[in-house]
Amino acid sequence: MSATQTKQIKFYNPASSASSDSDDRSDVTEPLYIDPGVAVSERNCCPASPTTVPAKSVLESPMRRAGRRQRTTSIGNQTTTANPSECIIRSNNRTIYTAGRPPWYNCAGQQVEPFVIGICGGSASGKTTVAEKIIESLDVPWVTLLSMDCFYKILNEKQHELALINEYNFDHPDAFDIDLLVDVLTKLKEGRKVEVPVYNFVTHGRESQTKTMYGANVIIFEGILTFHSPEVLKMLDMKIFVDTDPDIRLARRLKRDISQRGRDLKGVLKQYLNMVKPSYANYIAPTMAHADIIVPRGGENKVAIALIVQHVHTQLQLRGFKLRETLANSYKDQPMPDSLHLLHPTPQIKGLHTFIRCKNTSRDEFIFYSKRLIRLVIEYALSLFPFKETCVETPQGVMYEGKRMESRKICGVSILRAGETMEQAVCDVCKDIRIGKILIQTNLKTGEPELYYLRLPKDIKDYKVILMDATVATGAAAMMAIRVLLDHDVPEQNIILASLLMAEIGVHSIAYAFPMVKIVTSALDPEINSKFYVIPGIGNFGDRYFGTEPSDEY
Amino acid sequence: MCTGGSPSSNGSQAEENNEHEQEQAATEQGEQALRTAIGSSTPEEILAEYGKNLKLLTLNSQVAELLTIIRDKNTSRSDFKFYADRLIRLVIEESLNQLPYSDCDVETPTGAIYQGLKYRSGNCGVSIIRSGEAMEQGLRDCCRSIRIGKILVESDANTHEARVVYARFPDDIGSRQVLLMYPIMSTGNTVLKAVNVLREHGVPEECIILSNLFCTPVAARTVVTAFPRMQILTSELHPVAPNHFGQKYFGTD
Repeated sequence: MSATQTKQIKFYNPASSASSDSDDRSDVTEPLYIDPGVAVSERNCCPASPTTVPAKSVLESPMRRAGRRQRTTSIGNQTTTANPSECIIRSNNRTIYTAGRPPWYNCAGQQVEPFVIGICGGSASGKTTVAEKIIESLDVPWVTLLSMDCFYKILNEKQHELALINEYNFDHPDAFDIDLLVDVLTKLKEGRKVEVPVYNFVTHGRESQTKTMYGANVIIFEGILTFHSPEVLKMLDMKIFVDTDPDIRLARRLKRDISQRGRDLKGVLKQYLNMVKPSYANYIAPTMAHADIIVPRGGENKVAIALIVQHVHTQLQLRGFKLRETLANSYKDQPMPDSLHLLHPTPQIKGLHTFIRCKNTSRDEFIFYSKRLIRLVIEYALSLFPFKETCVETPQGVMYEGKRMESRKICGVSILRAGETMEQAVCDVCKDIRIGKILIQTNLKTGEPELYYLRLPKDIKDYKVILMDATVATGAAAMMAIRVLLDHDVPEQNIILASLLMAEIGVHSIAYAFPMVKIVTSALDPEINSKFYVIPGIGNFGDRYFGTEPSDEY
Repeated sequence: MCTGGSPSSNGSQAEENNEHEQEQAATEQGEQALRTAIGSSTPEEILAEYGKNLKLLTLNSQVAELLTIIRDKNTSRSDFKFYADRLIRLVIEESLNQLPYSDCDVETPTGAIYQGLKYRSGNCGVSIIRSGEAMEQGLRDCCRSIRIGKILVESDANTHEARVVYARFPDDIGSRQVLLMYPIMSTGNTVLKAVNVLREHGVPEECIILSNLFCTPVAARTVVTAFPRMQILTSELHPVAPNHFGQKYFGTD
């Protein structure tokens, strides 16, 4: 009886060394995948990297928040209540929540290279523990954790059989798809979106579904053979080797495999002696020479982790991650850039603005008049796409020289929530247009924009994109959205940013960072206030349109 | 007919007028050749030619595309209506832009003052049956509860003489600004009749704004000569009018 049981369980528990770590911890890391803006079923599509740990403690801010934007969104509330549906996890007496993605580019909109940490070490040496300790102490809002386990090769039938009787060597460099690994890591380092394969240890193949990951400020890459490939080595900014005593590693492995996975002592020892141990000696231990830091005793070594964290902080500061305030304070008194296309300030546009800016306008009228204005903005935005001359035949029998748009491949992308209000107008002027959405919210504590959710048409790089946001103040959210589009290979000159109202500062920032992005707006206001609202402005457009103003405004 | 700057003006305007004369000369030259290309007339030429009350929708590429699609005989009906509605919306918005307004400061939710403006109430629309009715929805989309009157003008099959056979307006139309809607003008006779009816109902000429999509130079001249104080807005001046508009829009072709 015990034999059959063992065999069954063995299907689910790979005879692999490296995979074991992640299996153990799945219950800890799983909640980290949850994205606040997304329904559970849509988790896979969210930009959240699998391990997203904004490290700051969350329980302090309600008092400070009063000075910031006041709004009654769930994000404002989640800091005070530990509602399990919101993505708060507790680990090691700390509260960690999954936030959106903060800026991963500098204030000129240029991609800043993320800091890549490689963690190497033998099986069961505590690599994942070290990675987690680093993430926890790092105090940066966004970290991507990439495991080498994702890159196991797909096994053929014979190899599959070997794996079942503990004779396939999962610890040999040949077991990994190094080319794919290099490709994924390169893209992550460039800040691009990547699809990371999900390895199935039962079928020893890749799942059809992949994990979407983004480059973050910090990328941690861990695995038993992290330092094996010279190409990968070149990409690592910091190389950590976790050196744990072989006896302890064997003891951990035995405990884990026998007590948690129901495997027998003989099999585990056979695998260890025949493959794990020789591989360690031949391929893993020699790479210790590449390491910048060797961490003895793994995750318990607090001093080593503190040193690592300190170094990473210094590096991040040098790279200049910090956005909104820098934006708000630059570019004063400069002429407006050429990429700005302001609608003719006709009396009618001014009249529409009068309606929607007046604080006493009812929501019904607010919606009606903003829709009229949006329609004009969108019509104008369309005129900025390239056109070609054409000649058509008319029913009157004469030829008519006219123009047609060069490409009908146009799609709209709205920046949630306020940008969504412009979708209808785009649909009204372009038949069957595809609409993408990007959710960016301001972190109430840092004032920085954060990316929460992303859904874009599949081949967006082939499209001309109308990016929509109702108001642009500092331009931080719009810049993040443009950056996202660029990361999806949309050429800069194919993007038009359309909005109803912009602050001059926002226009300057965007135009400076992305000079080829056309900016369309119906009005330009000179200032923004300390809460990053445009003055005289329009108030919170989304709140007024959707009727979610904080109740004290009544 | 020209109500723009007169050539005999003096002082600081001398230079401007000089330019103006040159433009006028250029226009006259250009008139010799029949123009078929779109965008053939600059706003200055139009001003010189027809006076300040005839305005063209700003011709950007997008508008040019709309015109092209509407003109193209291979356009499907569904496309035709879709793009015609878009053009109508733009023309209506621009027509509303001609309405009188007064300054109006409002307080925004941020507590700052926005120096805006306010249109007067008491406007109404009048559509000339049948093709003018195609523009009613566009007007409704901009002014939800506006009153709309109608005029039916029929032209005699033999004499081509236009005559009004039906007219129904709001009672107080004489005290309102009137947006007269008629998309195609080839001779301008229909519009002349319609404006005459409006005047009989006490609407002053200067309170009428004519919203039009396609206008021939002949019609423009006729209407401008007859009613120099009426404002006219169109999207294109072209010698060939797309006379199939009403039929294709309503699907009776």
